[in-house]
Amino acid sequence: MATIKIDGREIPFEQGDTIIKAAHRAGIDIPHYCWHPGLSVAANCRMCLVEVAPPPGRPAMQLDILRWDPEKKDYVPARKPKLVPACQQACAPGMEVLSEGSDHVEEARGAVQELLLLNHPVDCPICDQAGECRLQDYWLEHQGTGKRMQQEVVHKPKAVDFGPTIVYDAERCIVCTRCVRFTAEVAKDPVLSVRERGNLNEIVVSPGRELDHDYTLMTEHVCPVGALTSKDFRFKARVWFLRSARTVCQGCATGCNAYLDYDPRTNVPHRHRPRDNEEVNKYWMCDEGMLSYKRAVEGRLGTALVGGEDASLEEALAAAKDQLAGLKDDPGRVAVVLSAQHSNEDNHALLTLARTFIGAKDLYVSGRPLGRGDKILMSEDKNPNTLGVMQLAGAPAPKPIASLFDAIKAGKYSFVIALGAEIEVDAKDAESALSKLKGVVTIAAHDGPLARAAHVALPATAWAEQDGTYVNRQGLAQKSERALKARGDARPGWELVAKLGKELGYAMTYKTLADVRRAMTPEAPAASRDADRAAKPEVSA
Amino acid sequence: MLRQTTYLTKRYGVPEGWTLPVYERDGGYQQAKRALSMPREALVEEMKAANIRGRGGAGFPMGVKWSFMPWPPKPEKPHYLVINADEGEPGTFKDRTIMELDPHAVVEGCIIGCFGIGAHAAYIYVRDELHLSKARLWGAIKEAREKGYLGAKPFGIDYPVEVYVHTGAGAYICGEETSLLNSLEGKRGEPRLKPPFPAQAGAFGMPTTVNNLETIAAVPVALAMGGDAFSKLSDLHDQKDGGCRLYGVSGHVNKPGVFEACVGLTLRELIYDLGGGVKGGELLGVIPGGSSCPILRPDETVNAPDPKSPLHRWHGKNVLDVPMGVETYRALGTMLGTCCAIVLNKNTDIVLAMHNLMRFYRHESCGQCTPCREGSAWLFRILDRMVHGEATMEELDRLHEIADNIMGNTICAFGEGTAMPALGFLRKYRKEFEEHVRTKGKSGTGRLAL
Repeated sequence: MATIKIDGREIPFEQGDTIIKAAHRAGIDIPHYCWHPGLSVAANCRMCLVEVAPPPGRPAMQLDILRWDPEKKDYVPARKPKLVPACQQACAPGMEVLSEGSDHVEEARGAVQELLLLNHPVDCPICDQAGECRLQDYWLEHQGTGKRMQQEVVHKPKAVDFGPTIVYDAERCIVCTRCVRFTAEVAKDPVLSVRERGNLNEIVVSPGRELDHDYTLMTEHVCPVGALTSKDFRFKARVWFLRSARTVCQGCATGCNAYLDYDPRTNVPHRHRPRDNEEVNKYWMCDEGMLSYKRAVEGRLGTALVGGEDASLEEALAAAKDQLAGLKDDPGRVAVVLSAQHSNEDNHALLTLARTFIGAKDLYVSGRPLGRGDKILMSEDKNPNTLGVMQLAGAPAPKPIASLFDAIKAGKYSFVIALGAEIEVDAKDAESALSKLKGVVTIAAHDGPLARAAHVALPATAWAEQDGTYVNRQGLAQKSERALKARGDARPGWELVAKLGKELGYAMTYKTLADVRRAMTPEAPAASRDADRAAKPEVSA
Repeated sequence: MLRQTTYLTKRYGVPEGWTLPVYERDGGYQQAKRALSMPREALVEEMKAANIRGRGGAGFPMGVKWSFMPWPPKPEKPHYLVINADEGEPGTFKDRTIMELDPHAVVEGCIIGCFGIGAHAAYIYVRDELHLSKARLWGAIKEAREKGYLGAKPFGIDYPVEVYVHTGAGAYICGEETSLLNSLEGKRGEPRLKPPFPAQAGAFGMPTTVNNLETIAAVPVALAMGGDAFSKLSDLHDQKDGGCRLYGVSGHVNKPGVFEACVGLTLRELIYDLGGGVKGGELLGVIPGGSSCPILRPDETVNAPDPKSPLHRWHGKNVLDVPMGVETYRALGTMLGTCCAIVLNKNTDIVLAMHNLMRFYRHESCGQCTPCREGSAWLFRILDRMVHGEATMEELDRLHEIADNIMGNTICAFGEGTAMPALGFLRKYRKEFEEHVRTKGKSGTGRLAL
């Protein structure tokens, strides 16, 4: 494979790679603001300037500059090589690039850094970007000096409302145009642009419009500084107090890879942001997904419910046993509802209980109703694990939940054991159908029709509170890590299934998640995929 | 050597000189007609031999530029000719005289140019403020079209050519060729990244040649005379810098204006013979070819001991006596630019002069690249403080540093266009700047105009 050398280190490149792209892939960080691997090249920040040795036998292109000679007390003419932006320069075999190894490069980067901060308000103490701001990071790495311009900075509009989700501060903006390019190229809604010129430049929303498409929060995410802030996150947390868990978004069947940022001191989640995955979501997430982190807290089933009243887990399990009495006599009158909202592990446990122990024949699957999809990331299927449930259950495939209520009305069942609270059909219908049964037990993380209609509801952890595997619409099994401690009495779904099984007198032995995962070994490809990714160096764009 | 000519300015001052009858009386459109029946290669070779160096400032050989166009043109990728008439360089005012007084030369040049590069449409990008220029161009295009010189079959030859005038909105940066193309397409006037170069992907993403207006207006003349003969008008024919061109002189001279002469004229001839001498006293300095070209002092001598230097012939002579050529001026550490000199006499406040120019560059920076956007404004800020007697020595010492770091670090040449003149002023007038800072501005005359 063809290679280039960066500061003497040989790295491979692919046809069409720019220097920065090859470096990024090899884990070498060339400082940059405007470049983003998922966007077109703008080459306007000039932070990634590098020195490229001329082809053999050709002189380097030199520029005339002046240096001050304090002894002569006069200027002396000097020359410097013409630097090139690493984000624009294509790799060529054998190319020799100096990045940190060139004094000219370091001088240029220091100068760019100083110029970017020249009119910047440096209001880090009240800026949400502080702690993850490139201006701060690169100041440390490439400048490190105080401000040399003592006069008032150029003032520009502040706290500009861009739409329902985003606020803009033109004084903090470095006009890298990442947000402009994102809206045009990825969101396909070119609603942002640059107005004015020179150092009065600012980003504006098209007249008569708001920044209100489905990917507005990504503009904040791609902003390398604190110019764009999310109304949801503004003034809520300092990022250095947050920890990140590698999660999978639960908003739809796309299964975007995400980081859930949470405050471990308060056990509160603060935001969801994309985790790069070329195969799934590339570098992006939709607003719906980014805001879905709230479901880790909102609408939760905090305690067990028996007949709609709060109960302890032990009481609830005992009540469930009572409600399900007689189930062993006639397994044919038991319907088991799997959940496309729950992980493979939870569903596997329930499947084991249903098939191995109870001997139930009829499986159904519940989930959230279809919603809006698009050609970018959003799936119409708003459930993270539809494919996982189908794969686990195999043939015959679980039937849609609507047919359960028809069957109940026809008097086919006496008992329902369900995972998940949500259904894609009319809740009233469902509740009236379920109320006719002898025993309905639901294991759910959130309040919802299935939980409300149940005689006994057991509180499960939300995805953010347990490790789990989800199979997205492409058939990729992806692991989501636990971020938060369980709220209230919530326990992992698989654990509740096992407890219920035991209560019913079956020999369900799952004690840990590892036990469950061992039992479902055939579904293990997720592990190897994860290992692949972990082996790659993580350099943020 | 001063040799005034009238190839380009023949109709300047002639009553109705901008109309078709007058142009045709002088043999107008004969060359376009001839060109359309020539083999394309022959035409391009003729133009290469003419050694017309781009008159917009960069001085790139026009014929060579034409030859860069992909050949043969693909039907799905139409070629375009774009004429840069966004004349906005301070001190430069030559192109507008052609548009106003000899617009048919432009139209004829466009027809020949289109054929030379395989285009069927030419866009002339004109500064919107130049109302008379636009009117005269529109008039000439209308006349030519009515006469059948433009349209589906110019001169009855099956090679369709249309010429359009597109008006800009007064941004200096739109004179940079890729900004101009963006502006032409209705986009924000910001320079594009190169590559791709316009010859690969220019206007509307198609192969495009961008020529300066004077460059294209010289084409019929050069073709009529024969490329080689045209080139040999010049004293610098051996440096592939041929023909005759327009020279402008403004500022503190007795007879400011536009003059036509053979290439090889010296600054001294331009100022004293054509410009009528320095007004109100001695010479302080000359900005040779538009404001982006570093200033020359009248007491500078040429230092070119190397026989290979294009300047060697003038080694030891005064800079004012060097022929104004692309290569000679580059070797002098300045640029020929647009060949329109700005003359400053001894009473000019050099700090105010630099302040004036830096205000222009701050105002005109498109703001895309960090060094130019912030650097040009910082340069101006310090100079503004200097003018008001507030700047410190430390700030004076910062100016060259800022300029050094703009130089070469931007997408387009605007960065160099700001940094080079800044470094020129500093290097050549450091004593005056120091004195100005020390006396809090009292050492300067405080005057730009006389």
